Amino acid sequence: MSRIHLGEFEEIVLLTVGVLYDDAYAVAITKEITKQSGRSVNVSAVHKSLYRLEKKGMLDSRLGDPESKRGGKRKRLFSITPFGKKALDESMELRMSLRTQIPELAFKWQMG
Amino acid sequence: MSKKINIPKIPHAFFRWYCKKERYEELHGDLEEFYYERAEDKGLLKARMHYLFDVIRCCQPYAWKKSKGQTNPNIMMINNYFKTSFRNSRKNPLNAFINVFGLSAAIGICLIAYSFLEWEYNLDQFHENKREVYLTTFFSNRDGSIQHYGMSPKPLGEMLKADFAQIKKVCRLQDQNVVVKNEDKVFHEQVRYSDPEFLEMFTFPLKWGSPASLADLNSIILSDEMSIKYFGEKNPIGQDILIIFGKDNKKVFKVSGVAEPFPKAHAIEFDFLVNFENLQIADPGYNPNDWSGFVTATLIQVADPSDMEPIVQGMEKYLTLHSEGQDDWTIASFDFVRLEDLNRRSGQIRNDISFGYPPQKFVLPIIAMLILALACFNYINIAIVSATKRLKEIGLRKTIGASRGQVIFQFLAENIMITFFALVVGVMLSAFIMIPWFNRLFESELELKLIDTKLWMYLLFILLFTGVASGLYPALYISRFRVVKIFKGSVRFGTKNPLTKVFLALQLILTCLCITCGITLTQNTFYLNNRSWGYDQDAALYAVVDDYGSFTQLQTAMLQQINVLSLSGSEHHLGKVITNAAVEMPDQQYQVRQLSVDENYFETMGLSLKEGRVFNGPYPSDKTALIVNETLVRNMDLTQPIGQTLKIDSSKYEIIGVLEDFHIYNFEDEIRPTVFSVANPEDFQYLSLQVKNGTEQETYKALQEQWTILFPEIPFQGGYQSEVLGAYVEEAASGAEFLMTVSFIAVMLVSLGWYGLVMLNVAGRTREFSIKKVLGASLRNIASNISRQYALLVTIALLIGIPLSHVTMEAFLGMLYHYHMPITFSPVSVAVMILISVLLIVLATQIYKVSKSNPVEGLKAE
Repeated sequence: MSRIHLGEFEEIVLLTVGVLYDDAYAVAITKEITKQSGRSVNVSAVHKSLYRLEKKGMLDSRLGDPESKRGGKRKRLFSITPFGKKALDESMELRMSLRTQIPELAFKWQMG
Repeated sequence: MSKKINIPKIPHAFFRWYCKKERYEELHGDLEEFYYERAEDKGLLKARMHYLFDVIRCCQPYAWKKSKGQTNPNIMMINNYFKTSFRNSRKNPLNAFINVFGLSAAIGICLIAYSFLEWEYNLDQFHENKREVYLTTFFSNRDGSIQHYGMSPKPLGEMLKADFAQIKKVCRLQDQNVVVKNEDKVFHEQVRYSDPEFLEMFTFPLKWGSPASLADLNSIILSDEMSIKYFGEKNPIGQDILIIFGKDNKKVFKVSGVAEPFPKAHAIEFDFLVNFENLQIADPGYNPNDWSGFVTATLIQVADPSDMEPIVQGMEKYLTLHSEGQDDWTIASFDFVRLEDLNRRSGQIRNDISFGYPPQKFVLPIIAMLILALACFNYINIAIVSATKRLKEIGLRKTIGASRGQVIFQFLAENIMITFFALVVGVMLSAFIMIPWFNRLFESELELKLIDTKLWMYLLFILLFTGVASGLYPALYISRFRVVKIFKGSVRFGTKNPLTKVFLALQLILTCLCITCGITLTQNTFYLNNRSWGYDQDAALYAVVDDYGSFTQLQTAMLQQINVLSLSGSEHHLGKVITNAAVEMPDQQYQVRQLSVDENYFETMGLSLKEGRVFNGPYPSDKTALIVNETLVRNMDLTQPIGQTLKIDSSKYEIIGVLEDFHIYNFEDEIRPTVFSVANPEDFQYLSLQVKNGTEQETYKALQEQWTILFPEIPFQGGYQSEVLGAYVEEAASGAEFLMTVSFIAVMLVSLGWYGLVMLNVAGRTREFSIKKVLGASLRNIASNISRQYALLVTIALLIGIPLSHVTMEAFLGMLYHYHMPITFSPVSVAVMILISVLLIVLATQIYKVSKSNPVEGLKAE
């Protein structure tokens, strides 16, 4: 299939990168996802998705400044690329389109 | 942050190790950030735990994988080689199995040989002073030849110490059998009387206690094994232990030291160590200045090996002292054997404290090499034949520019990979199955030390040697073909390669040899079990007694048993204790074995008299009479033995009887000249019984019961006479089992190799057979077609193999046993039958396959 594939967790990571905009790096993303979705997320999972997304060309990255709270190490800041946006839009579109195609009848449960 | 919180070191090091450099900073920065935060919120311990989990969870491809693919063409090529060979072995699992299985079995056996040789080589090499400590030995003329002895005259040690300034330390050793008692644990043991220098000369570190305590007369030092036997796992220092030297002669010793467990490769050891002076207590009549007596060993230590020269030259005067001090023995010269070389030379030295292995030990490495050769031949044959299927691959490689060298390299690399697999399997096989099995068989203590660099060198050597030896020829052979010929399809081989045939023939010969030896040894074991010992061992029982008093007590008790046919007392006993004596001839000394027994001994043991008579009555009648065996009569050329006088230890004896020959310890050694003299009842050590047939067990039980009633203090020592050679017979059986297993492996290897070869051959000729079948060939035609090419080969191989096996077996058996079964052709015939039937079965399965196959399918292919 020629469609751009985006996994569920990847999609959330991609969205969170957008949400955090200027401060999107692994630790912040992990915390944000935990905060917003309430599920416990490990930083290694976030790492994995971030690097995959970057490899796919949906994310761009640069190194930030050294910070003392990281033991004087720099962090990698991510930002969405136009291709990332397109992937996100397509994914959203597909979901919306599928959602609208569900007949109303499917939601009419016979109660009792 | 209030204070510096350190990152846990070990997980950090691990992270640093697996993480690639470019991503280390960002990734570890993230981990650190979490870590510091958690340390603040949840405490250091939890933070550390989380950090450890993070490190483990981050160990994923994104952290270590190279971002770009391999670009180096050479490495890519090698990757490709491995990929192809991996696919290849997956396509032909049977071939891969044959190769890996065969090689790993062979490597397993090689490792047994290695650990054995390593153990043997390291025997007693752990002593720090091995180059400065020497055993005093002497040469003496016996049986017309010079013999080397490892014991030394009693006064020598003290004198050496006083006479030579170069000698730093002297240590005398004397072994003695005693009874050791601690509470309810009472056993017969051997104590070693030694000068306090013993623990300084030899490197036997103590686990508990001090080595200096050996200077104290009341101290005793235990080996680790004995400490556990008598005191369990706890520290026994300061505990009392009772040594019973003889009846009414005992002494309490205080445990003052326990040795560390001895290294596995040791020949010299001790169970109990007490001060040498205790000999005076054990035997009040002990005279340390008696030149006619011996101590078990006298060891000296010098500061430097070069100091030995003046000592060796100064030994002359002791020869005079010795000959003046007594006149039983003459010593030709003294010699010193360095501790380092002792176990290697021990085979040639009589009565020394060490032991060494006879030259038969080289059988093991030879067997290992043979099996390895078999496995290599298998590989070569299969590789050559299976290359038919890979011709296109080789052609393609050459077309796109592979040089011949590269093709050779590819095949060698592939082979080394297979050998590597085999090596891993072989090491495991050997460590977990073969070596424990070998140890159980031979009661040895071999082990595979995986941290030994020499072992790894050896493994590397095996890997390269086997890999190259088995792979080189196929690689050279395969890489030779011209590309054009390959693609035109005009290269046909595998069926006509002469070397394949040579290898197959060699395999058959080697296997024939292995099976023959295995069968021979097994048959020989049966033969030995049934061979007459020269006396009636099955009806005889024996018990060890302390002295005449206990002998008479036991005698009275046992004579009441109705099943006892005959009872006798003796100082020595067949298969147990025998002394040596020297018969003085006008021109030489002649060494014989001597037993002192009473007049009933011959009847009790069932020794049969050839001529003359046995002793008339108890000591002292016939005090100067001697009964000899046939060998003595033969060896000394006595035409009229009865009435002859012999001079032994300066007293004259008259021969009154001649016994038929009998075996004393084993069948390996030649029967030696033996004499019997009347024993003084005061010296009785053994009580032997002849019992009614079928009542052996019953009477043995009664014997033990009577003993316990009479001497509750002393453990019973005795047994069935038929078991005195037990250890020896077991050892022979072990050797046979080992060789049988090895030959089984050899047969497996040959049949597997043969199977692979025939199968590939038939598969390569599918079309030919299909056409033949279509044109109406019968099963017989096809069968003869397939077998014809092998018939000649097998015949030639067997024609070489049969005589070779027969001759080798004869030499082998002659080397191991002086008395063995008559050599027949039955082992060789059985071996040939096994081989031929295996070959036929394999051939039959393939012929069956061809006959069942549909010729249309065969022709449709390709």
